[in-house]
Amino acid sequence: MPEISGFSFPNDVHVWWSLMIVMYPYITGFVAGAFIVTSLYHLFGRTEFKPVARLAMATSFAFLLVASLPLQLHLGHPERGIQIMITPHFTSAMAGFGILYSGYLAILVLEVWFVWRHEIITRARRSRGLRRAFYAALALGTYDTGPQALEVDHRAITLLAGIGLPGACMLHGYVGFIFGAIKANPWWSTPLMPVIFLMSAAVSGIALLVVLYQVVSKLQGRAPDQPCVSALSRWLWFFLILTITLELLEIIVMAYERSESWLIISELLTTRLEFSYVTMQMIVGGLIPLILLAVVVLMNRYLHERVRNTLSTVAALLCLLQVFSMRWNIVVGGQLMSKSLRGLRSHYEPEMFGREGILMAIALLAAPFVILWAFDRVLGIAEREPEPRAQDAGETHDRATEAGGVHAA
Amino acid sequence: MEHARHVFRVALVLVAVVAAVMVARGFLVPKSYGMYGPYRYDNVVEQMNVRVPLHRGAAACGECHDDQLKKRAAGSHKGVSCEICHGPLGLHVKDDGSVEPPSIDRSYTLCARCHRKVDGRPATFPQVVLAQHVNGPVEGQVCLTCHDPHSPKAKL
Amino acid sequence: MAPRPTSLQVIPEQRTGATAPECGRRQFLADALRLSGGALVLLAGGSAADALAAVAEKPRGEAYSWDEHLYAYLIDTSKCIGCGSCVRACEAENKVPDGFYRTWIERYVIGMDQTHVDSPNGGKDGFGPVQVGFTATKSFFVPKMCNHCRATPCVQVCPVGASYRTKDGVVMVDGERCIGCAYCVQACPFGSRFISPVTHTAEKCTWCYHRITKGLRPACVEVCPTGARQFGDLKREDDPVRRAIAQDRVEVLQAHLLTEPQCYYLHLDKEVR
Repeated sequence: MPEISGFSFPNDVHVWWSLMIVMYPYITGFVAGAFIVTSLYHLFGRTEFKPVARLAMATSFAFLLVASLPLQLHLGHPERGIQIMITPHFTSAMAGFGILYSGYLAILVLEVWFVWRHEIITRARRSRGLRRAFYAALALGTYDTGPQALEVDHRAITLLAGIGLPGACMLHGYVGFIFGAIKANPWWSTPLMPVIFLMSAAVSGIALLVVLYQVVSKLQGRAPDQPCVSALSRWLWFFLILTITLELLEIIVMAYERSESWLIISELLTTRLEFSYVTMQMIVGGLIPLILLAVVVLMNRYLHERVRNTLSTVAALLCLLQVFSMRWNIVVGGQLMSKSLRGLRSHYEPEMFGREGILMAIALLAAPFVILWAFDRVLGIAEREPEPRAQDAGETHDRATEAGGVHAA
Repeated sequence: MEHARHVFRVALVLVAVVAAVMVARGFLVPKSYGMYGPYRYDNVVEQMNVRVPLHRGAAACGECHDDQLKKRAAGSHKGVSCEICHGPLGLHVKDDGSVEPPSIDRSYTLCARCHRKVDGRPATFPQVVLAQHVNGPVEGQVCLTCHDPHSPKAKL
Repeated sequence: MAPRPTSLQVIPEQRTGATAPECGRRQFLADALRLSGGALVLLAGGSAADALAAVAEKPRGEAYSWDEHLYAYLIDTSKCIGCGSCVRACEAENKVPDGFYRTWIERYVIGMDQTHVDSPNGGKDGFGPVQVGFTATKSFFVPKMCNHCRATPCVQVCPVGASYRTKDGVVMVDGERCIGCAYCVQACPFGSRFISPVTHTAEKCTWCYHRITKGLRPACVEVCPTGARQFGDLKREDDPVRRAIAQDRVEVLQAHLLTEPQCYYLHLDKEVR
């Protein structure tokens, strides 16, 4: 039984939206953020992101495959979850999930297919038997890799990225709308909410790629491309500034207007959420990476490679913590407060085991990396070296030259 | 266009998937969904019959307990439903007509729930501080020693 | 045609999967008969004459038409004594799980600068004396339940259309479609909803729909000893609740949210949310 301070409505003392609902926007945040990075190259042609573009797309894809799982695990009736796609009630933002998720999944699958099509066909040609049949099926039975076909691919990729970018933004923005449009909960109800969610999604996606790129480069035995690292840091800093500004703006306005709910919200922030909001979200996850990234960006030209890599990675890790705390503070924080505006409940402690527990959350976070690893085995993430003229299908004498497979943990 | 053949193949796959979804949906949407709004209308009827009403009102009790009903109607508990103290009629008389004796709490706790003096009760409502109202300890069926719950003006 | 049942008998309904695909009026009426076995709903402006008036559980033996009713609820907080009989009656009538409340009572003890609010176990066991650390100048009880709002956010946010409002003004949850996402629970500004640990779907006060469609009153109104709770029909000319709403000074909870609640309160106070 939770302890209540003050008065809460008798039904209002439960945290219905659990750790799984914190995980869901965290995961779709990675989907959107990674897609923003890959679009910076594929749509806007920023070549400094080329080293990381395919990794970003594969990451977005891997997280997308996992994205619906936290929701299913949370539902009272997961077997009815498909009803969202069968009889969606369109006044509900949550009903948008069906369309947005399947739509964006289609776009991303298509884009992955076009980007890796050459790869698939090459592997089809190089293999025999069942593997060949598998790749041939993936290639949909066409083997055209001539320059005109690749040009068609390129245009398709640009088009898909052009549709996919707003799609990714909506896939995550609607989550912000789910919270922001609830007038019953004053901690959630603000028009800023979709924007805050989107900006922090960009932060989490870029931060994840900063870390992943460093890890992957180390595993490949290759030095990370420094212009790419500083470009990533620059954009991370930019989005972090936006995110922190918006998050602060929200409470500053609330405090200034001294709205009806400000008294209980300020008590929430200074008592129940003191650690996760003030310490983690604002200071450890906000102020410190802001400073670290400022160093990386503003003093870029004076930095040694190792320093740049280290500072940006540390800042990125702290940003990952910041975004998680932000999701936690919004989802769980909003439920610690009663709609009576008079009561707060004791803190929510997620269970360790169980379908909405901590171990499940860790598994959900690990799963996309497993998918990434499988993705690399099947399709190969890094850019393949140009093929030698005389093709020998059985030649595998040096695995290192063969597209430099990424062995993610 | 010859070089875009693979694009047409992909488009074909996409169209096939969408068609399959639309067909499946036709089977899966419930029949009464959308009749009067975005909900399953059959549920309205289901809700009407979700259970047999359990409380039946004092008049229904009077069908068998007419004397108690008359006594109550003449006293100050005439607005107090029998079912407050004796529980719902549906637990006393079952669907098949069989009768189970209703549980009744004869201790002072039952009376105190309404008549103990607490903040919030209108001043005009009869309420007492139990310790001051009773000579002796407040325990057991002490209220019943002076008050008939069906016509509660004190016997003394 | 099904036989006329006795007043306590209910003919068990069949699963909805048995309905025929054709939704013509006659076919639907026949299906509804098979489904409900008891009450029957006519379509809008339906011809009551050829209506299948045989089957009803209403004492007067009439069929039920939701077009003829628009329900509302009136609560006079100056009459409530906080006995909790309503909470207990609701729990018995609707099998409300322990620790959750379809209706509850709040006590307000108010001084010049401070307010104390409590609701021990929803008021189910009544209220005991309370010690507040200030001088109380007024105190009262406020019964609460789902307000069956006209512009309700809970129906708006349901992703699968499990939550809905009937034509006679009652908001209900289709327990077979509800996926248990709890979005409606978050969206209700009054804290009326909960996810039942038994059915894992959203549940709340239904104004005892199974009673009011048979001419009975909700269980809470039935047992209220002081008449603090009253149930009415806005479509009836001589309805006392309708008259009170039309002529007395009534309030609703959280009026600024514009959810248009249909539970009207007399003698509310600014401290009540």
